[in-house]
Amino acid sequence: MLADLAAGFSLILDPAVIGVALAGLLAGILVGGLPGLTATMAVAVLAPFTFMMDTLIGLPFLLGVYKGAIYAGSIPAILINTPGTAAAAATAADGNAMARSGRARQALEISLYASVIADLIATIVLIAVAAPLASIAIKVGSPEFTLLYAIALTMVAAVSGQDMLKGMIAAVLGVMISLIGLDPMSGAQRYTFDTTLLLGGISLIPLLIGMFALSEILIRAEDQLKGTRPGSIDAKRASQGLSLSGLKRLMPTILRSTGIGTALGSLPGLGAEISCWVAYGVAKRTSKTPEAFGKGAPEGVAAAEAGNNAVCPAALIPMTVFGIPGDTITAVLLGAFMAQGLMPGPLMFARDAETVYAIFAFLLVSNVMLLFVGLWAIRYMQRIVLIPNALLYPAVAAFCFAGAFAVNNAGFDIVIMLVGGIAGYAMRKTGMPIAPFVIGMLLAPGLENSLRQSLTASRGSLLIFVEKPAALALLVILAGLVGLFALQGWRRGAPANTSLNQQNGETR
Amino acid sequence: MKLYATLIATAASLAAFAPATAQEVTFDKPIRFVTPYPPGGSHSLHAGIITTAAEPHFNQSLISVIRAGGGGAVGATEVANSEADGYTLLFGDPTINSLRPQVEELAYGVEDFIPVARINYSPAIFVARADAPFATMDELVAYAEANPGDLIYSSDNLNGWTYTVFELLKARTGADMTGVEYGGGGPAVARLLGGETMAYAGDISVVGEHIESGDLVPLCVTDTVPVEALPDVPTCPDAGYDVVFQFWRGVLAPAGTPDEVVVALSDGFESLMADEGFLRLIGRIGSSIQFADHEEFDALLTQEIAAMADVAALVDANN
Repeated sequence: MLADLAAGFSLILDPAVIGVALAGLLAGILVGGLPGLTATMAVAVLAPFTFMMDTLIGLPFLLGVYKGAIYAGSIPAILINTPGTAAAAATAADGNAMARSGRARQALEISLYASVIADLIATIVLIAVAAPLASIAIKVGSPEFTLLYAIALTMVAAVSGQDMLKGMIAAVLGVMISLIGLDPMSGAQRYTFDTTLLLGGISLIPLLIGMFALSEILIRAEDQLKGTRPGSIDAKRASQGLSLSGLKRLMPTILRSTGIGTALGSLPGLGAEISCWVAYGVAKRTSKTPEAFGKGAPEGVAAAEAGNNAVCPAALIPMTVFGIPGDTITAVLLGAFMAQGLMPGPLMFARDAETVYAIFAFLLVSNVMLLFVGLWAIRYMQRIVLIPNALLYPAVAAFCFAGAFAVNNAGFDIVIMLVGGIAGYAMRKTGMPIAPFVIGMLLAPGLENSLRQSLTASRGSLLIFVEKPAALALLVILAGLVGLFALQGWRRGAPANTSLNQQNGETR
Repeated sequence: MKLYATLIATAASLAAFAPATAQEVTFDKPIRFVTPYPPGGSHSLHAGIITTAAEPHFNQSLISVIRAGGGGAVGATEVANSEADGYTLLFGDPTINSLRPQVEELAYGVEDFIPVARINYSPAIFVARADAPFATMDELVAYAEANPGDLIYSSDNLNGWTYTVFELLKARTGADMTGVEYGGGGPAVARLLGGETMAYAGDISVVGEHIESGDLVPLCVTDTVPVEALPDVPTCPDAGYDVVFQFWRGVLAPAGTPDEVVVALSDGFESLMADEGFLRLIGRIGSSIQFADHEEFDALLTQEIAAMADVAALVDANN
């Protein structure tokens, strides 16, 4: 294998390959950094252009775009509290708080280091143990997925902030919004009010742009009108980077989140959007200072970013070994691989070992490149926080509209974005956390599908959740987590306790 | 000198011919080519290849537009409601263009589209896990009859083609089997390989690799002729089960599109189908071309719509 990898490096370390990869990374960073232009869309739009290119030109370019875009989603999340991609939503909370307290550069560097380290480790896992890991992942069936989604949903408790009840309400609202559209199994129309506009459901990205970005703009505009000037940011302090000892302190968090991201990413269907919240929630739960989360904790940024970037190489595991894409973006990549004459699946390693290892080698090389490109870009981007609000936010607003429209080329998505913006503003004003809403909306469809698939396969018997050892183990973990949260809530006082019971009911 | 005269004569005749061609349809702005499914599936992959190679054949670019949602209903509705001028085309299939409009309440009907060109079609291949208690179609049906409801199979989407072929099988044999819809070929095969289900019927691009590696056993193909890549696998009628369902990919325009525009589009696709670069890419994704022009496609589709009405009635009667 090492010899294969060495041969792969010799194919990849070619100025032309490095050149297109660099172009891909920069294009990806641009796309990922603009709210609404998602990594999936960028790869989907650019994929056909690579069909006619050489394999080792086209694929490195696409993979570069993919990597750059996933990383760059965190940049606007940190600088202007507007996640560039859905996977960076968990980064916004602490990242933006850090930027606002004058630690923009530090937050950007933590995000970069966490991304690169997580990506590197997950890539090594992909190269070394893809086959055995995939053969475990393929055994994970609907009951296990159901319980994994339920466990992920308990992260609502971790991100609800002070008021658990408001967190639960937000999560339930998110679940309810996700129900709009066609029933995934029976095809029945739910809450569509007989209009085709709602048939496809509420699009996540436009809603997120509204809730995060537009509401941020509204709040800034309000500040301006009221004359409450935000504390001026000290340019000198803002340019202070992350120290080596600071990075060392974050390493346990990064490694743990990488493990979570790699494990979840290797399961087909659980993408970076979910993994970032789980990693964030676990980091907060295991932290000695959980109260600092949401107020600018470096661990929060590191956990979320390591959690979402580890998913990228991990999602390639089921794709390369079984030809089964882990998420939409790997599904698009699968198409690009096929158009190059590479058929991902059980026989690809035997048939095209040379190209496969060249791509593996490229994944490692592109990581190092991302580190340098990122460090270079941060030098300029950290200055965005110094732009006067009156100039910055109107520009962001323009991007909100363009981005919301661009996701599906649908005018209705602009309406969704506007409604999301007003709702987000109202939620912030009433102290209702946005994170649980996002988690509810993200997880509900997967939870519903896998629950119904389990029960169809078992023909209605709930025993399917205890008969398989893996499902039973997950059920015990879920019960333990819910019990733990209930106990913590009970100790804190009665109001939190009732809300925890509510959550308990909801995860079932 | 004689040569010179010939050249002039040729040029003159060409000039005389030119006004006639000018009257034919030319496209003066890009054509939107709408795929009603999310990126990553075989449909969007075909669309990517078609739109990449199309420009020289239409003297205009085709823009790939992905409008996913509602299992294809959102994109189809949008095209049905768009202007019938030939600048908006739907990349359709039997699910959204003949089956679902007849069995579900959708915002469009089969009559809202005019066929332009069929690109290709493929049959579904019935497959079983290598360790399933059956390795032929007869054994599968016998197992289902002996153990009512215990045979669990994967399918993609309700009323999709992988779903419908099993409905047909159940209707023809009266056997009781349990289907689970996983929302797409990827997860459906994943759960089959993982052991959650025992059988599936899908496109060769989805199951072919796993047949070759020995993890899945092919049972029969839902066509009247065997699949080229798997010549030993019988057709379902040959295996004794009248389950024929060809999944086509084709281009449709909104009803009301002028005939000459439909003809021009059909000609454009016909010339694209002979493009070497295009064919090479199609070959790489394991697909092939079975082109049908607008007239032939129209006849096929009319036939299929009638057949699907029967299928719907049969499946309804069975349930």
